[in-house]
Amino acid sequence: MILQRDKVKKNPFQIIQNVDELVEMKKKSILITLDLWEAQKKLITKHKFNLGLEIASDQSLGPIKNDLHYFKLIQFKFITFKDGRPFSLAKKLRRSYNFKNEIRGSGHILPDQYIFLLRCGFDSVEIEEKNLETWLKFLEMDKGIYYQP
Amino acid sequence: MAKKLKGEYFYLTANDLKTGSVVYYSKNNWSSDLTNAVKISRDNLAIYEQIAQNHEKECLIVSPFFVELDEGGEIRKMRDKIREKGITFKLNN
Amino acid sequence: MYKYTEQDKKIVKNRTKEFKFQVERRINGDLTEEEFKPLRLMNGLYLQLHAYMLRVAIPYGELSDIQLNKLAEIADKYDKGYGHFTTRQNIQFNWPKLLDVPDILSELAEVEMHAIQTSGNCIRNVSCDHLAGINSEEVEDPRPWCEIIRKWSTFHPEFSFLPRKFKIAVTGSEKDRAAIKVHDIGLKIVKKLGTIGFEVFVGGGQGRSPYVAKKINDFLEKKDLLNYLEAILSVYNELGRRDNIYKARIKILVNELGQEKIKELVDEKFEELSDKSLELNQNEINNIFNFFKLPIEKKTNSKVPIHSDKEYNHWLQQNVINHKIRGHSIVVISLKPPGKPPGDATSSQMRELSKISKDFSYGEIRVTHEQNLILPHILNSNLYELWSRLKKLGLSTPNFGLITDTICCPGLDYCALATARSIPISQKISNHFKEYSVQEKIGDLKIKISGCINACGHHHVGNIGILGLDKNGEESYQITLGGSATEKASIGQIVGPSFSTENLIPAIERILKTYEENKKKNEDFLSAFNRLGIDKFKEDLYK
Ligand code: SF4
Repeated sequence: MILQRDKVKKNPFQIIQNVDELVEMKKKSILITLDLWEAQKKLITKHKFNLGLEIASDQSLGPIKNDLHYFKLIQFKFITFKDGRPFSLAKKLRRSYNFKNEIRGSGHILPDQYIFLLRCGFDSVEIEEKNLETWLKFLEMDKGIYYQP
Repeated sequence: MAKKLKGEYFYLTANDLKTGSVVYYSKNNWSSDLTNAVKISRDNLAIYEQIAQNHEKECLIVSPFFVELDEGGEIRKMRDKIREKGITFKLNN
Repeated sequence: MYKYTEQDKKIVKNRTKEFKFQVERRINGDLTEEEFKPLRLMNGLYLQLHAYMLRVAIPYGELSDIQLNKLAEIADKYDKGYGHFTTRQNIQFNWPKLLDVPDILSELAEVEMHAIQTSGNCIRNVSCDHLAGINSEEVEDPRPWCEIIRKWSTFHPEFSFLPRKFKIAVTGSEKDRAAIKVHDIGLKIVKKLGTIGFEVFVGGGQGRSPYVAKKINDFLEKKDLLNYLEAILSVYNELGRRDNIYKARIKILVNELGQEKIKELVDEKFEELSDKSLELNQNEINNIFNFFKLPIEKKTNSKVPIHSDKEYNHWLQQNVINHKIRGHSIVVISLKPPGKPPGDATSSQMRELSKISKDFSYGEIRVTHEQNLILPHILNSNLYELWSRLKKLGLSTPNFGLITDTICCPGLDYCALATARSIPISQKISNHFKEYSVQEKIGDLKIKISGCINACGHHHVGNIGILGLDKNGEESYQITLGGSATEKASIGQIVGPSFSTENLIPAIERILKTYEENKKKNEDFLSAFNRLGIDKFKEDLYK
């Protein structure tokens, strides 16, 4: 399920693995991996999709620096919650690349990281339903008092 | 857990999750006392590894491992001996 | 001394609540150990050989009498009546129960203390010169800067899940007492053309691959400090290795890329990311500095009491340092009495010291990275009475800076990672060389002992470093010579094959003999070693 701050929301984005699926998906919201984007950028941009891009925590933003306008969503997939690179990547997207659309966290993330995620520019997280309460609890415990701007 | 173990007999040990104290698997239970610890033969390691995993999942213990015993049935490694007997010098107080 | 603001209070209190919630989730199985471990570490909680261990932060090594008294209380109520002061100016409790830790944290919060970021792969508690603000050769007091960095680094949303731990140290003097060159970032306050700023060093560290830090900035303006730190951390978070825990520290990155390249990357990031809102303005800086005003009002002609007691005179000579304000002294309380575990203090000692600091030192106590304590502001005329009271507590050992003033990690007696014991080695040394006259004759000498290659006992930078190894189940000790953690930092060289526990003291004796036989007048061990070279020592030691 997708949690955006304190609201659960629908996820229109469907993940697709290969280009063959593109045809059936006409005019839909699709989520593609960075690898697929790099391999099939031309083909993908021929269709009118709502595009979401999934970037794993060990990938860099370099390849998409100039493509950002294509994406309605950028999703950082945490390989493990211990790998903090996506925090920096999200911040960079917002600060250096001025990306205004949705940034989402997925993969192995903990509710304990929710406030950090939001503060680094994430809008939403993909979570397991059974953990919803815990995610909300962290939001509730946060008093908005931080040392950093 | 059972990889690269030396010897024929072992104790199963862990720390109690809630207190942190060193415990040994002793006849259906965990105990900080070594006297009733189950002496596990090499053939049965898998069974006890399963027990350890289950008890980890049940949040009873943490960091389980097998303590190697030498031919005389004594704990082999210095580390495990200190872990069992406690620190080797008198405390300040 | 720094006092919590409302903001600090709320943040620390909130953290206490959060940790309680995390412990609950661990106990009921919502968090696996794999998930809980980094979270508990970020709050200073380890699982050691025998039990949990809680490391409480003493930011830049400064404690009030009230805080020290609370530490004593915690030691009695939740632990075994003692605490251990560490090489990064923190204190460790060795026996807390997981279920008690939230309560301990609440009690600590009452006296403006916490365990935040004393471990884990985040920016650790910042350390500092223990003579900050009270020595006369200082450019500027580093403590306010430590406090500024403490705030910035606490719960930093971007830098709380780094490839590995990250340690920062600050000094305000030419003479480095904070070991800044063996930190991930070392900051040295300097003055250039009348303006104060920082020299910045990165990539120092000990452990498996020791490095002395490299300078990447000659003069960083004060206002840019936080932006520049962000730039370094940002480069590290992006490029630091995560595939191999032994190669994950920034020192490896700095060494792989080289000094020039790392400087270039940091400068680029600094350009790219510099954020106006992180710029420090003079008002903010002044606000923090105001907390650190000296409690002493004015110079006096207060005289040091004269007594014939030999021990008192040894102590005066060895453990008492001039304060920058005339008529006052700085007193080092050695936590290395003969035969005791270095850095340990009992609850009754802490409680008494708390009172003593209130009676004589404006309620201020400091912790040094060499695991001693300091009473920073003593009126000279009080020295004899102070000494008498310390003596009753067993805290008047006159060995500051001498051979028995060892740095020592917990080693195999406590530590789950150790390969050999270290405390018993330190005890042997302090018993063997316990006579003051013997130590005085040897002169300044730093012995540092680690129980494994992780080097928490700083053996790489000991004049004599001792590293405990496991040789087929037997403890064995490797000796390095010539290390130093000062402004002339250097990594010690391995002298040769390691020694059994029995042969270690004779080996040290032999090394000292080489020094004794070859030293020039007034030449200390390190200088003599640097002049003579390792081969001379090796030759004598293994002949
Ligand atoms: S140096 Fe090794 S033995 Fe000593 S405290 Fe560090 S990890 Fe433990």
